[in-house]
Amino acid sequence: MEKTPEAAPVRSIKDLPSEENILPGTPVCAGCGGLLTLRYCLKALGSNVVIVNAAGCFTLLSIYPFTPFKSSWLYTAMACAPAGAQGVRDALDVLIEKERLDPEDDLKVVVLTGDGAAYGMGLASTSAAIHRNLDFYYICYNNEAYGNTGFQQSEATPFGSKTGTTPPGKTSPAGKDFPEKDLFEIWNSHKPPYLATISPAHPVDLINKFKKAEKYRGPKLFIALSPCPPGWATDPSLSVKLAKLSVDTGIWALKESVYGEVEHTYIPKSFKPVEDYLKLQGRFAHLFKPTRQEETLKRIQEMVDDYWNRYKLLL
Amino acid sequence: MLRVRFHGRGGQGVKVASRVLGTAAFSQGCYAQDFPLYGAERRGAPITSFTRISREPIMERGVISQADIVIVMDETLLHDPMAMPLSGLKKGGIVFINTSHSQEEAGAEYKITAWVITLDLTKIGIEMLGRNILSTLAGAVASRIAGLEEDSLRHAVEKEMSDIMTDRELIEKNIEASLYCYNAIPPVEIKTSGTREAGTVITMPFETAGVSSPAIYAIGNTPLRKTGNWRVFRPVWNYDACTKCMMCAARCPEGCILVNEEGFPYTDYENCKGCLICVEECPTKAVKGVLEVHA
Amino acid sequence: MPDPKNVEKMMLTGNAAAAWGVRLAEVDYIPAFPITPQTEIIEKLAKWIADEVMDGRFVNMDSEHSMITAAGAASATGVRTFTASSSQGFLYGFEMLYTVAGWRVPLVMVNVSRGLSSPITLEPDHNDVLAARDSGFLQIHCETCQEVLDSILMAYRLAEDKRVLLPVIVNLDGFYLSFTREPVEVPDVAMVRKFLPSYRPEHAFFKASQPMAQGVAALGGSLYSYFKYQMHLASQKALEVYKEVCGEFEKEFGRNYDTIESYMVDDAEYVLIMTNSFSTLGKVAVKKARENGIKAGLLRLRLFRPFPAADIKDAIHSKKAVAVLDQNISIGKGGILYSEIAGCLYNEKQRPLLLSFIAGLGGKNISQKEFEFIFDKMLEGDTEDVGMPRLLYTEAEWKEAAKLKEIAGRG
Repeated sequence: MEKTPEAAPVRSIKDLPSEENILPGTPVCAGCGGLLTLRYCLKALGSNVVIVNAAGCFTLLSIYPFTPFKSSWLYTAMACAPAGAQGVRDALDVLIEKERLDPEDDLKVVVLTGDGAAYGMGLASTSAAIHRNLDFYYICYNNEAYGNTGFQQSEATPFGSKTGTTPPGKTSPAGKDFPEKDLFEIWNSHKPPYLATISPAHPVDLINKFKKAEKYRGPKLFIALSPCPPGWATDPSLSVKLAKLSVDTGIWALKESVYGEVEHTYIPKSFKPVEDYLKLQGRFAHLFKPTRQEETLKRIQEMVDDYWNRYKLLL
Repeated sequence: MLRVRFHGRGGQGVKVASRVLGTAAFSQGCYAQDFPLYGAERRGAPITSFTRISREPIMERGVISQADIVIVMDETLLHDPMAMPLSGLKKGGIVFINTSHSQEEAGAEYKITAWVITLDLTKIGIEMLGRNILSTLAGAVASRIAGLEEDSLRHAVEKEMSDIMTDRELIEKNIEASLYCYNAIPPVEIKTSGTREAGTVITMPFETAGVSSPAIYAIGNTPLRKTGNWRVFRPVWNYDACTKCMMCAARCPEGCILVNEEGFPYTDYENCKGCLICVEECPTKAVKGVLEVHA
Repeated sequence: MPDPKNVEKMMLTGNAAAAWGVRLAEVDYIPAFPITPQTEIIEKLAKWIADEVMDGRFVNMDSEHSMITAAGAASATGVRTFTASSSQGFLYGFEMLYTVAGWRVPLVMVNVSRGLSSPITLEPDHNDVLAARDSGFLQIHCETCQEVLDSILMAYRLAEDKRVLLPVIVNLDGFYLSFTREPVEVPDVAMVRKFLPSYRPEHAFFKASQPMAQGVAALGGSLYSYFKYQMHLASQKALEVYKEVCGEFEKEFGRNYDTIESYMVDDAEYVLIMTNSFSTLGKVAVKKARENGIKAGLLRLRLFRPFPAADIKDAIHSKKAVAVLDQNISIGKGGILYSEIAGCLYNEKQRPLLLSFIAGLGGKNISQKEFEFIFDKMLEGDTEDVGMPRLLYTEAEWKEAAKLKEIAGRG
């Protein structure tokens, strides 16, 4: 039986659980922010999990005959990982009820999906799983585009981002010229027991959210903004720095919701300008060179300010 | 027909190298065919691409299993059991290796009996282009070995770079660096034997799903893949400056930074991909990125 | 032979018979989604579970795509699982048919055949189920309500056999079977248990003490070819296993279901080939033809995947003429069964004239006149219908359609 993580919150990075439940040698990119996120999530979840994966970059984690996990895995397809989780969870419950599985052999069921599936094709099956109050964890590693096919627009792609299918051009100098979906609010309208945004730059916040979520039966949903060196056109060494900047500029708000009640878990003391974050990334380079797109940059800053003003948290 | 195979790592420009060679051949009136083999692998992982050049229309497709010229853009691949860059090199074929070693040293080191040519493309790339992207350099070397003209190469680099970048200055630098590489290698003449057919066709036996389903019963076996050879730079710790804060270990996406008996962090070089987040995140600058010198 | 005390005779629809099969197989888990004409199956199961006459778990899913995923995933976790669909729904989940078959899990699913949109319709033909012929699912096609119940029990035995481990589709016609009541023998559960022991997987399950990665990616053509071809070999193996299962089923329940049903075929010179419930109409036509002195017979394909090529070949290679009635149409080619049957006869030295007819699309009736037309063509040795399949269509139907076109302003 895995040891139950102690209820007391983790205070510093030094206190992160030492167990590693995903091992090195994966085929994902050097500096992958999603992988760092997953590593932390599995520290929190332990090894008694079954990951139900949706098509995306992390499909590649298990390629025959290799798996990085100490735990179990089922690859489904792009639209339906939450439905797969339903089947696995129900089957485990049936087996335990009928005394064909030792309760010690039970597993936490964890959906692992990128933003491509979570924000788009997989949204209906996720909504339905939340509606059925499926007892599962849902981790979305969000790199704000279809990364596995080489970085094209997804429904998480932000305003102003260049992707393979939103090239900045004469008709659309900003690249993608409308903002992303607010998946947190879509999910929150279902009032799930637990829902949070997380960041690979804030592992203490992340682990504590998983600890808190564990108390609830039903859907426990997490979205992580995950830097993607090849897609964002950034050096792999900058992934943590970019994740920090996404939070410090207010672009990625760290928050949680319990049955629909939203609270911010980390509010930067002073917000850095969004440009500090944008200018480090190749996917936003067209906003600065050859000519500065003042209007676009201003609008991105305004969208962030509006968000925090809504919560009256802009200091 | 000349069959050329490029071996490198994702992000080094393997695909573009094969295109530079293809375009150079095409621009001097040859039939050409080039393509990359996309695996599931990502930036840093072994990648292969191919170019065929012929005076006659090319009636072959798919991977080149028997090459006349093998271009090894990343020397660590010579040790990689999955990449196997030297497999199927034809008798009389040429191996180019991007290395700081001489031809003799490299031949001895890697026990290569075939004709070896070497040049330190990584050094040239970093010095002339400011980065470890070797597409035009490897394309240049391949053009020289394949006996193509200097003008064809110049045209090809101009064309291929203009397709993927707008920075004129960087395009010029690529042309300059590629011509430098072209001329750093003496002209050669390749005489290879014909291709051989390999393998006996078998009748596949039936195996039950207990064996033949796409499931893995082993656990946590990816460390066998040894992604350490993806690195261009290796993180090196200066324990005099290290405060044992373990920020590096916490921030490593791969989870391959461990603690030694004295409580200092160290990385598992077998698997560290060299992302250098540890270098970036160390609060006391105790970790440095050092260029890998292989072999 | 079964002890009649252990068997109850009931009037059941095809859908109810399917539900009874699932209940008697003591299925653990049923993810469901409604679609006409299948819905009665899942409603019945939902009610039995709610009333605790059946010890299973039922969950309402959000689409057939999700439903087949949940069913496959539960099967991969180690429980006996059932699901059902039809037509558009079956196609909506189509991606997952291939996926679940590739997981090598013994899911049993019912498809209630219904013609495919466009135009949207309700009555049966087999383009839906035949679309899945290459997926890896085995397919059993039923003529009667009794056969539906029995086939579900046989399907689990077959699917769960270690030598097979592929999912199975049991097919029945919408309306003609699904909503049609007829007498069905329902055995008691103790008898069924003797024939179908509980499922205890050794190859695919999830539990903490024995982690497993299932359905993983396989890159590179040679590895992919290995996995795919092994599915084919397992399906071929299923032909052999099917014969064993058949024998044991007959021993326990007294009914025999071979891969094919040969109705008056042995001494026949002219043979119809049909599938599913319309075969009953064909059998009547065969009897009438015999009354008129024609040595007629009917071959019904029951096991469609794996394809029982040897059995079919043995049954018909020495006949004078064979007419394949395809209740489906591969647009731009013709009948799907015709091509498959022609394929298995091609290398025979002795082979019959093989005619192709399209019949019963969207549940269109096949009249006695149409059957007589087919026998006439076979007797004439008319080769006109060899290349291009003829649609069986009467003048009256043509006139009726003309009237409707006029009303639609298309006259």
